[in-house]
Amino acid sequence: MNWDVAIRSGDSQILHLKNAVGMPIVVAVAYYLAAEVAFLVGTFSDKIFAPFWPPNTVLFCALMLVPRHRWWLCILAAFPAHLISELGIGMSAPQLLVAFVTNCLVAIMSALSLQYLLGAPPWLTTLRRMLQYILAAVILSPALVAFGGAFVPAMAVGAPAEYWTFWTQWYMANALAGVALGPLALAYFDTRASRRAQPLSTIDLVEAAVVAIALIFVCVVVFKGKTDNVPAGLLPALLYLPLPLILWITVRFGVKGASFSVFVVTILLVAMTLNGPSLFIIADPERNVFAIQVFLIGLAVPVLLLGAAIDETRHAERTTRESEERMALAAVAADLCLWHFNYDDNRFWITDHGRRMFGFSPDQVITRDVIIDTAYPDDHDIAYQVMDLAATPEGTADTEFRITRRNDGQTRWLRARVSTVRDDQGSVVQISGTFADVTARKAMEDELAQQHRDVVHLMRVSMLSELSGGIAHELTQPLTAILSNAQAARLLLEDKSPDLVEISAALDDIIGEDHRAGEVIHRMRSLLKKGAASLERIDVNELIASTLSLLKGELISRRIQASCEYADHLPLIFADLVQLQQVFINILMNSFEAMNDVLPSQRLVSIQTRPISTGGVQILIADRGHGLAPLHQHQVFEPYFSTKERGLGLGLSICSSIIRAHGGCLMLENRDEGGAVATITLTERALSAA
Amino acid sequence: MSFPVFLIDDDASVLKALSRLLRISGYDPHPYPSPRQFLADFDPSAPGCIILDLTMPELDGLELQKALLAQHQKGLEHQIIFVTGTGSISAGVQAMKAGAVDFLTKPVDPIQLLAAVELARAQDEEARSQSRERLSVQEQIARLTPREREVLSHVITGRLNKQIAAALGTTEKTIKVHRGRVKAKLGAHSVAELVRITDKAGMLPAV
Repeated sequence: MNWDVAIRSGDSQILHLKNAVGMPIVVAVAYYLAAEVAFLVGTFSDKIFAPFWPPNTVLFCALMLVPRHRWWLCILAAFPAHLISELGIGMSAPQLLVAFVTNCLVAIMSALSLQYLLGAPPWLTTLRRMLQYILAAVILSPALVAFGGAFVPAMAVGAPAEYWTFWTQWYMANALAGVALGPLALAYFDTRASRRAQPLSTIDLVEAAVVAIALIFVCVVVFKGKTDNVPAGLLPALLYLPLPLILWITVRFGVKGASFSVFVVTILLVAMTLNGPSLFIIADPERNVFAIQVFLIGLAVPVLLLGAAIDETRHAERTTRESEERMALAAVAADLCLWHFNYDDNRFWITDHGRRMFGFSPDQVITRDVIIDTAYPDDHDIAYQVMDLAATPEGTADTEFRITRRNDGQTRWLRARVSTVRDDQGSVVQISGTFADVTARKAMEDELAQQHRDVVHLMRVSMLSELSGGIAHELTQPLTAILSNAQAARLLLEDKSPDLVEISAALDDIIGEDHRAGEVIHRMRSLLKKGAASLERIDVNELIASTLSLLKGELISRRIQASCEYADHLPLIFADLVQLQQVFINILMNSFEAMNDVLPSQRLVSIQTRPISTGGVQILIADRGHGLAPLHQHQVFEPYFSTKERGLGLGLSICSSIIRAHGGCLMLENRDEGGAVATITLTERALSAA
Repeated sequence: MSFPVFLIDDDASVLKALSRLLRISGYDPHPYPSPRQFLADFDPSAPGCIILDLTMPELDGLELQKALLAQHQKGLEHQIIFVTGTGSISAGVQAMKAGAVDFLTKPVDPIQLLAAVELARAQDEEARSQSRERLSVQEQIARLTPREREVLSHVITGRLNKQIAAALGTTEKTIKVHRGRVKAKLGAHSVAELVRITDKAGMLPAV
């Protein structure tokens, strides 16, 4: 056949003919041949009515396959074929016309309802679709149209009393064609469905051919029936002989196999019954045929449904397998280990890639305990929680832990994501999850954190070197006092009767001043200290007071007054003291510098602390300096942005990152009365620290 | 009576320690935590020296020095010893130019400080005795008549009576009488003595 397969853009893919001329010819020829086959297979005694009437199904299939705007061409083409074939058997003109109209009606109804129900191809690929097909093309439309079709023989016989007999005959003939030919045609012309199925190998094709020949052979032999050497009682049992072969074909080849076997059995049984002795020779041919029709439809419907169910299952299996393969491929590509664990049978499954991730040998039996055992001693608890999520109510986890890889003893960081599957009662039946090796990322993060710490520390050191003059001043005061007191004590000792009370007072002062100097050094050293953040509970008021005393020299030499307004009962803040002090110093120093061009009497820094309603502390540091230029307001926190001639431009960006790492925020804005104000908001509990 | 030393430093413990040292060394320390308080109490005519911290809030040492100079009687300035925690050279130069005795950096060596105080005391006494002498000489000169003072101003340039008479438009004899009276009133026996006396009184010779 010169069918041309084309994919129409959009909703449907329909087989259509190469040109508008070829298609009607094919339809006409097919219609005519189908009618001739029907007559060949056999007609009733009136020589008009064929119990197996495929032309309607041919027309229906043509309608299914061509676009709707060409339907009229199909119908037009079928008419001469109908005319020739029916005239050949000597049908009267009115009969012929009514028969044609009913034939067309049944085809159109079936096509319309199926297109409505099934939409675009693939058509008969699932159980549900097959059921819909049977409902529409086998039960409903032939039954409805049979009301018209029954008129044809009634007109010939002229006996309206036999109308219902004719209705039944008409219906059964069309229904039989619907089960025997329709699925076959739709299955073989449905390229979309063919593409869904697994392609057949040569062995499959040989198998199909052998079984098909065996089926034909068995049918021919068995349906011959009445032979002398077969006992009469055994005859009904013979009917079941083709069944194993039908089931074989169906199970192996799905809808195509099922429809093919139904078609073969139908053709052979009807032909043999009408044209000679067969199993179904019970009464007159009409009754025999009715019995055959009931038998065939009864056989065909479950076989077709079975075929569709098998196709559907195969397709689902294949889809699942493909998606599993895709998933496994993706998992390997993404360096993911997939695993799951069943609680009911204690079965643990892990991908091969996962085995390699842990360094297990391919034949090692892996259980949850084996996985947990690989965890780093410190991370053992995390690993245990990951692998036994049933104990937790959340049912999901996303965490990281370290393992010691089994084959080379390397320490690797794994990121684990886990979720649980629960049954209807809510108890956990399965845990599944993924592991990803994040060692490289961890190393990078560590390096970044280290670099950040280094930069923060460097900034602190450079800040301190700026402050060194002021700090030196802070140290010289106690040293001056110590020297003077010591000299005074020595002078006192030179007396003949030394004033011991005064000497002791001088020594006490020396001790006191020594402590004071020690404190200055301690403060400075803690700022110079380099190391990971250590979080502690901090009284912000105290920290500001100690920061100001560190900056005292700076305040004096810059002639700046500092006024503090400390709120009572501030909540303690969980933070890194050194980093927080670094922020305060940095912001205060910025404020100091902003007031360089202000008259000394106007140089004032006001610091205010206050609790905030959400449970935290706000620190406001306001100056009376030049403020922020409007252009710079959005840039001040950007790294390397500086308005100072020798500034690195890292100060505020680091301050901001420190405060953010503490779960707080740093804002900088101009004050209405002139100058700028920095607002540091700290939450009571810091989330993390850089 | 011991020599008063005015201490001005914003750091209480430094103030206390220096006071103790000075007291034990035989001086009379007067500690002040702020320059303003000191200025309020200050008596320019009283003897004493000042130890001044250069960097202080409110008013720094150099500004205070300026304020004191404005109040002082010429020649009777209080000696100032600067101490500083930061020790900037420019501030030191400025202070020394304005007449500071010494400029010490903290931590101050007590021996050095005591030496500076001692030097200040000596200079203060010297200045005060000089000032007393000048006052008595000035009183003597004030007793001369205007004409006698005019003649004296010429005498100390080393001119002869004849020259002076020509300059003042009078006779040599008159000048000789004036010269004799001036010598008698000032108790001088020679021109050299007259020169020394007028110099002490700050009197300038005639041009």
